[in-house]
Amino acid sequence: MSDLYANLQRALNPSTIAVVGDKQSLGFMWLNSLKTFTGHLYSVQVDEREIAGIEALGVANYASLAEIPERLDYVICSVPRQIAPHIVKDCIASGVGGVTLFTSGFAETGEPEAIALQDQIESLARGAGLALIGPNCLGLHIPKLGVRFNVDQPHGMAGSVGFVSQSGTHGMNFSLTGAANGVYCSKLVSFGNGVVLEAADYLDYFVEDDETAVIGLYIEGVRDGPRFARTLRSVAARKPVVIWKGGQTAAGTRATRSHTASLAADQAIWESLVRQAGAVSVDHLDEMIDVIKAVLFTKPAQGQRVGLMAMTGGQSVALTDAFAKAGWEVPRLSDESYAKLGEFFNVIGGSFQNPLDMAGTIREDPTNLDRLLDIMNRDPNIDAVAMEISATFAAHRWERKPQELEQLLDSLQRFGKRSMKPLVVVLHPAHVESLALGARMKLQARNIATFPSFGRAANALTKAQIARSAAH
Amino acid sequence: MPSQIIEAARGDGRAVLSEVEAKAVLAEAGVPVTPTRLAHDVDEAVVIADELGYPVVLKIDADAITHKSDSGGVELDLAGADAVRAAHQRIMAAAHGTAPEAEVRGVSVQPMANPGTEVIIGMTRDPQFGPVLMFGLGGVLVEVLKDVAFRVVPLQQRDAAEMIREIQGFPVLEGYRNMPPADLAALEKILMQLSSFAEDHPEVTELDLNPILAYGDGAVAVDARIVLAE
Repeated sequence: MSDLYANLQRALNPSTIAVVGDKQSLGFMWLNSLKTFTGHLYSVQVDEREIAGIEALGVANYASLAEIPERLDYVICSVPRQIAPHIVKDCIASGVGGVTLFTSGFAETGEPEAIALQDQIESLARGAGLALIGPNCLGLHIPKLGVRFNVDQPHGMAGSVGFVSQSGTHGMNFSLTGAANGVYCSKLVSFGNGVVLEAADYLDYFVEDDETAVIGLYIEGVRDGPRFARTLRSVAARKPVVIWKGGQTAAGTRATRSHTASLAADQAIWESLVRQAGAVSVDHLDEMIDVIKAVLFTKPAQGQRVGLMAMTGGQSVALTDAFAKAGWEVPRLSDESYAKLGEFFNVIGGSFQNPLDMAGTIREDPTNLDRLLDIMNRDPNIDAVAMEISATFAAHRWERKPQELEQLLDSLQRFGKRSMKPLVVVLHPAHVESLALGARMKLQARNIATFPSFGRAANALTKAQIARSAAH
Repeated sequence: MPSQIIEAARGDGRAVLSEVEAKAVLAEAGVPVTPTRLAHDVDEAVVIADELGYPVVLKIDADAITHKSDSGGVELDLAGADAVRAAHQRIMAAAHGTAPEAEVRGVSVQPMANPGTEVIIGMTRDPQFGPVLMFGLGGVLVEVLKDVAFRVVPLQQRDAAEMIREIQGFPVLEGYRNMPPADLAALEKILMQLSSFAEDHPEVTELDLNPILAYGDGAVAVDARIVLAE
């Protein structure tokens, strides 16, 4: 294993962290975010006006990395760019594992001096095998160890999503919005300019990381394209990979003399590459979270046939349309299923076909929901189940009779335990959103994959299948 | 493995191979192409046509004339020596009329292929990912309809199979109206051959096989364009 890779591993599993250059004007963003760190936290700051504020946070401050009495696994460097090379040299001299350069103003500016500065720190880091993350990035978020770059990020628990982001904002938003949806990270890397370590390096890390079950990637461009293509292919064959490719390239003006070259637009090539590698593409953050949620909280479907369950006729139609559009077959159930349904289903104000229009049947007797789910589980024509629960009608009732919602959740959870078929639930934000939110939180707490619209549920299930199918 | 034809063209300072040269290079790589030879004058055209067998197709062979069919540079379905002679005269007159400065090497002569389903297979070099192959339904509308699929070289067998099936027009290849189902294995084989070709020939930057005619049994490239690195 190379020094670089070993050092990256140290940084991603740190016992000791130092922050260089945090300051009041940043709200001591780094030191505050790292209050939750389970290991030893240090500060390096020579500006005397800042030291009192740092010590008030209960963090020991030193004049240089060399003076810190412990070996440092991970350093965050928040100094102006002219000073960055000095800090990088200090990191090397002190045997630091990995360093995040939060500092920006490097090659992304396009200025020749800035590019030269970036080249300098790149060659310093490469020469020593220092795992330099960035520059121009937020670095690492490791919830289990309380390593954060924002005070709202989760800590004290471990998720299983490895997220790699070329953008700090999208990395941050994934961790926060993901957490609000019950999707948590094992580790997250915002890698910015990626001069020493870029996307392929982090994919290599996450595919071997036992704490990571699914990998998400936000990417705009790569330096070594063929290496990225090979890496993506081998990683996606082992773990599900979900890719959000950002940045429409400016239309090329290079002269082409063949149809092929004229048609080979950047976005078309990227999409082909993702498909070729067995990964799956998403277009935005919500979709990234939706698909990962489906990968984490549903079982793989053995086919493309879905059984649909809705509370009203209108919702049945909408549910069917959404799933058909996303490539699912909505078949007739088996004769045996219809015979069983005929015994108890209330066809006044309801119907059963596939979809099942079931509100009346459940209201009569809530245990009928278990019967319906059992029929879906046993039916040989069905590979997956999607259910909508109409918060619009039920929101106030759940408020008055919370046990009704609990019963519903119990039935869904029982299905999840007994059945090998994936289940997704659609819960629209209702007119009383706070009540729908409460219901959603309860579904999430039971690891039931829940989505705010039919289209999002169908799309998530479809794409989860794709992401999983390449990975054995 | 270096190609003498490519080296000779580069030696001449040319970046675009003629159709005759491009097909010869591809034939070296095992890709099925219609046998195409250069005739420097009308008598040679008749000799070649006699050898290849009628009906034949004549096309102007001149670097400066790129959209040959648009400018009277292509004559199809020539059934005998007299037809070849008359066609040769028309082609030369058209070339003289539309591009009098063009240096004309002669005309290419090839057998007229049977009708088949037209597909396009091509290669280009992506600045980020290197050589990329393209597959689509061919014909003049390909750049408008954009019903194409891409894969990054090197291709695995399953990539070739998947990219063919990915295009929206795939049902045409499964058999449509009078056309029988196309020989998909033959098309996959061409894709795999071009994947190796792209790796073996870094000096080739762009390549179009358009159209390839796909039959129930086999497929053949009827036109080919190869662009070399400057």
